[in-house]
Amino acid sequence: MSFDIAKQSIDYILSNPELFNEPSVEFDFIGGEPLMEVKLIDRICDYLKSQMYKRNHKWFNSYRFCFATNGLLYSSKDVQEFINKNHTHLSIEITIDGTKAKHDLNRIYKDGRGSYEDVVKNIPLWLEQFPDCGTKVTISHADLPYVCESVMHLFSLGIKVVNINVVFEDVWVDGDDKIFETQLLNLADKIIDNNLYENCVCSFFVENIGKPMDQILDNGNWCGSGKMLSIDAAGNFYPCTRFAQYSLREKKCVIIGNCVDGIDSNKLRPFLTLDRTTQSPQKCIDCEVASGCAWCQGENYDAADTDTIYQRSTAICKMHKARVRANNYYWNKLFRKLELEGRREEYNATHKKQTEKPC
Amino acid sequence: MLKYLIIPLANDAVSFCHYERGNASDRLIDIDMLKKAIFWAMTENVNVQFVYPDKEMPSEYKPVIDTIDHAKIVSSHCEDKVLTDEADIVVFDGWNDLDAFKCQSGKSYVVRTDKSGLFDNADVFKSLFPKLDRLVVVITDIDKFQESDFQKYEALLNAMIPIIKEEYGKGHSLHFNLLTDRMFLDKMNNCNAGDETITLAPDGKFYICPAFYLDGSKAVGDMETGLDIKNRQLYRLDHAPICRKCDAWQCRRCVWLNRKTTLEVNTPSHEQCVVAHIERNASRRLLEEIRTLGEFLPENEIKEIDYLDPFEIIKQ
Ligand code: SF4
Ligand code: SF4
Repeated sequence: MSFDIAKQSIDYILSNPELFNEPSVEFDFIGGEPLMEVKLIDRICDYLKSQMYKRNHKWFNSYRFCFATNGLLYSSKDVQEFINKNHTHLSIEITIDGTKAKHDLNRIYKDGRGSYEDVVKNIPLWLEQFPDCGTKVTISHADLPYVCESVMHLFSLGIKVVNINVVFEDVWVDGDDKIFETQLLNLADKIIDNNLYENCVCSFFVENIGKPMDQILDNGNWCGSGKMLSIDAAGNFYPCTRFAQYSLREKKCVIIGNCVDGIDSNKLRPFLTLDRTTQSPQKCIDCEVASGCAWCQGENYDAADTDTIYQRSTAICKMHKARVRANNYYWNKLFRKLELEGRREEYNATHKKQTEKPC
Repeated sequence: MLKYLIIPLANDAVSFCHYERGNASDRLIDIDMLKKAIFWAMTENVNVQFVYPDKEMPSEYKPVIDTIDHAKIVSSHCEDKVLTDEADIVVFDGWNDLDAFKCQSGKSYVVRTDKSGLFDNADVFKSLFPKLDRLVVVITDIDKFQESDFQKYEALLNAMIPIIKEEYGKGHSLHFNLLTDRMFLDKMNNCNAGDETITLAPDGKFYICPAFYLDGSKAVGDMETGLDIKNRQLYRLDHAPICRKCDAWQCRRCVWLNRKTTLEVNTPSHEQCVVAHIERNASRRLLEEIRTLGEFLPENEIKEIDYLDPFEIIKQ
């Protein structure tokens, strides 16, 4: 992205506060690897801050710059300078896939060397600077046998929050749900038996998932697409980056405007009126364990039989059901243990009830 | 449930709706295909509407067409004047020949016009209303309406109210889609393409409506394999989150325009909704006016509302 495109986009966003009426904002820089362009990002952030100040914009002092990075450049001079300059308004997530063996399967340099060692050496500095930031892990078919050891490894590195989910794409084969469930049951035992639940969080285990959902009261959309704006290097606007051409398999990208002409609000209407039941097949409406079963609007669109965001993909169905079973086990086991130790009330008082965070 | 089959007999069959008609080529529907389509319509028990090109149909088609009860949609420019006389619906492209045309009672006349044609020809309506029983105006560029057009449109419809009232006063219960349809309705009455209506195009394949055929959209089945409408539920009102909350029941709710403007067949544009609500609200005023002449549709109330786009209520 050129600075000019970024500037035009910022000017458009800040000059149309009625279109962006949230009290706060997150600016998320997405790569490839965003920190490779930290100088450009720094310039963009400076421009943003100065404009919010000049315009007396409500977001001045209520903004955040967010990054998901592979962590390789984390300790470099440029990145550290950027962090020091913006620290109070930054969230940085370093992505590690798990153990060295697991991480180096996919995350390699051009010459084939694994990148694990180079990332891990930056973890202590990152945790010192952002002790509350978590890491994000995405599980696909090949990752299933490593779920438990990967999460445990991340905890052992000192990372306290592991945000983890299975991919929404239709990659699952027969038996995957069994493997997944076994992995999660092992993980549940390890977290509880080693008292890791005191300080660590793995987002697979959430107390209130796996319940039927009310058709009227519980009819919101899961996915946040359309409530955010994604901007590509050419200045095109998307309801989420998953709708850009580079993210889609066969479908045509969904452009909802650009930094010159602004947003075509008609193109946003389907996103803003989308609800759970209208897009769901009957099996999901009737589902006994529906709560927490997520979807990605971009994947729904990509997988749909027609060019629509109104056809929910249920590729994760059996994986969600496996997760629900393991999740039930986790909470039953944990609460029983706490009760036997007379610590249930103390736990309730000191731990926020985890809720599933929509995308 | 499917109720209607539209069969454009040629690529350049007249457009009776928002889309532009196809190029003047000679692509007539194959006569054997036509026979199969008629057979299909009989077995599926759907009503057939034939849409004619301006050029006279070859004589061998006429007996085939007559093997099924049907409605004829014909252009005012059709070479075959007998056909125009027999037509159930006569379509005018613009306003030019309307004055001179000899309208018949009991017949529907469709005028396709863009917004500027509409605003410039308000006077033509006045001369037309006494002459015909049903006038349908299709605005071809609803998606281009701007704020100033909405105001002009409201003013235009308001100006029609006393004229229509006068007709009703004379005992002439004129139907004019933009103003009277809503008065008579007690539920949605939309185009319903893809749900109640389907089109068999000259290429022998099914399409949601002729517009989908002409813009190169994918077919939704053919004579051999039958209908195969993917995500068919999205053409139904209960799967249209904005429209199912709406009471502008006269709105055409054009799924083709929806897709063009919002990329989704079940989601209308802002312009579509505002235009339909201006009509709805004008119908409300017309209903009140006609009632000053005596009892009229006592069961049908049109509530006063404070929005022009139901999207606003959903957002709240
Ligand atoms: S995808 Fe499966 S688990 Fe999820 S809500 Fe639908 S039926 Fe239930
Ligand atoms: S006015 Fe809008 S919401 Fe109402 S039926 Fe027409 S298109 Fe749908």
